[in-house]
Amino acid sequence: MDSASVTAFFQTLVQGLLTGGLYALIGTGLSLIFGVMKVINFAHGDFLAIGMFITLALFKAFHIDPYLSLLVVAPAGFALGFVIQRFVLARLGDRLGEGSMLATLGLGLIVSNTLLLTFGAQPQSINVPYATSTFQFAGVQVSVSLLVAGLGTLVAIVGLNLLLYRTELGRAIRATAQNPLGAELQGVKTTQIQAIVFGLGVAFAAIAGVLLMPLLYTFPTVGENYTTKAFIVTVLGGLGNLPGAVAGGLVLGVIESLGAFYISNNYRDAYGLIAFLLVLLLRPEGLFGKTVKRV
Amino acid sequence: MTAAATLPRPRALTFGNLWLSGALLVVIALYPFVFGKAMNFGVSTLIFAGLAMSWNILGGWAGQTSLGHAALLGIGAYTMTLLATPERLPAFLPAPLAPWWGALVGMILAVLLAAIWGGLTFRLRGSYFTLSTIAVALVLRLVAINSEWTGSSEGLFMPELPTLFGLDLFDRKVEYGLAFAFVLLTLIITHLIRRSRLGYGLQAVREDEDGARALGIDPTRMKLIAFMISAALTALGGSIYAVYLQAFEPHTLLELPISVQIALMAIIGGRTSIQGPLIGALLLSIFGELFRTVFSSANLLIYGVLILAVTIYAPNGLMGLFRRGGLKLGVNR
Repeated sequence: MDSASVTAFFQTLVQGLLTGGLYALIGTGLSLIFGVMKVINFAHGDFLAIGMFITLALFKAFHIDPYLSLLVVAPAGFALGFVIQRFVLARLGDRLGEGSMLATLGLGLIVSNTLLLTFGAQPQSINVPYATSTFQFAGVQVSVSLLVAGLGTLVAIVGLNLLLYRTELGRAIRATAQNPLGAELQGVKTTQIQAIVFGLGVAFAAIAGVLLMPLLYTFPTVGENYTTKAFIVTVLGGLGNLPGAVAGGLVLGVIESLGAFYISNNYRDAYGLIAFLLVLLLRPEGLFGKTVKRV
Repeated sequence: MTAAATLPRPRALTFGNLWLSGALLVVIALYPFVFGKAMNFGVSTLIFAGLAMSWNILGGWAGQTSLGHAALLGIGAYTMTLLATPERLPAFLPAPLAPWWGALVGMILAVLLAAIWGGLTFRLRGSYFTLSTIAVALVLRLVAINSEWTGSSEGLFMPELPTLFGLDLFDRKVEYGLAFAFVLLTLIITHLIRRSRLGYGLQAVREDEDGARALGIDPTRMKLIAFMISAALTALGGSIYAVYLQAFEPHTLLELPISVQIALMAIIGGRTSIQGPLIGALLLSIFGELFRTVFSSANLLIYGVLILAVTIYAPNGLMGLFRRGGLKLGVNR
């Protein structure tokens, strides 16, 4: 291989890893919710779309920088998720699995169609000066927005780990994930914990939406695509396995990026799906770790 | 805690009487005479009613929620259209194939896909199957969008079709007849399944897979048969839908929302009853039509609200509500 093709390879790899970081963020939210409540959240991408549209609306109305709108979007996403779990999904009682899957599918349809009625179907984007700026590092072009997104992901995931393993709340969350009844008997308010977890998951999706906003157009049904990506990431990593979700996200990003570059860009979305089907069939517990380590 | 506590427990498939089916068929048969001007709505509603019924053989009877039926619909539509317009496949086909034979080929292909797909995924339980259906449908959609021979993103167009017994297939009245026959077929097959060994086996598997296995029922085989019947009927519906559309593109035919729509019609109507999917499809289509000017393209909003309400308050769908309300139309149990 000559040096040009080596550079191209690293360029593609870096691109894939940074995109993969965002996928990891999206997948971590989904996996967290699954790990604690065994709910596959079919509205996950639509919550990401909410994050994108809040950012868009704030930018259009007040010219607020997308990264600054994180201060609004993250708490708003948490509150939304908290309320949804506490007042809607909790009503499903013990009818989890199938019932919660359909309920979240319905929530997703409500979100995307409400966005459609509010913002219209045409794709919209925000124009920030740093949207297309890049810098060179060892011959590899790196997009600034994508790098910020990668760093944002890192902060969010480290923060989540600190929360889960260094705080009393985290202990309660882990207890609820392992054995809800046992946790309840130890005085953990599991309904409260489940609402907090759903809030965290939605906040993660919404944060990913904000980080994507400087890079991409948004439209009301954009979430569909990201729900699928989140499924792929979590299945690659193992449902409910948080470190697995991070690894799964990076793997998906790299698979897509390399596939698009070396095979065909038209099938960019197909490579992840095929990997997903293969893992589902051959290793349903995920690529990483034989025993599924839950939250 | 047993598995029974975590799953919705649909009771036996009630409303299994022929009276309700007969009454619905009479209403459907009278529609063209009353609403002769709204035939487009009538045909598409009936096709989706038949698709929801077909979906339910897998989704209701076998309890395997598919969110990828658009792929099977697409196989029916694409196969028939491609074989009827052979200039796209010069190497395979010297002359156009009549649409009824094309529909048959489409059904066979759909059954083959279902056999492979189900054979691979029915080892997995619960939500994994649903996730796989989404992935398979999305991969097929990408192939359709990116292949020259499937008309890529522009899709396909049928300029002409041979007549069937002297009838013009592009006449809305004829299409209504075809769609009616499709609904009738799905209803008859559902009634037949209900009374067959297959039907009892499927119910047993759905209610308690381990228990059914202990009784000597092979759950994977049961689900597979249900999937293959469902696939064949869905592909047939796809062929009829292609005739109705005459021109279609992958973005409208193979999208996830189509799969979701078919599934939700059946679930909202009531997947544990024979006529539930049919009633769900009729009601949701009428609702969508009435509020079309209000919601325009956001017509799936009502699906979202209803499925949320149904999962929380009426796990057995609207038909389940009727039964609970004491409107017992020939309960067979």
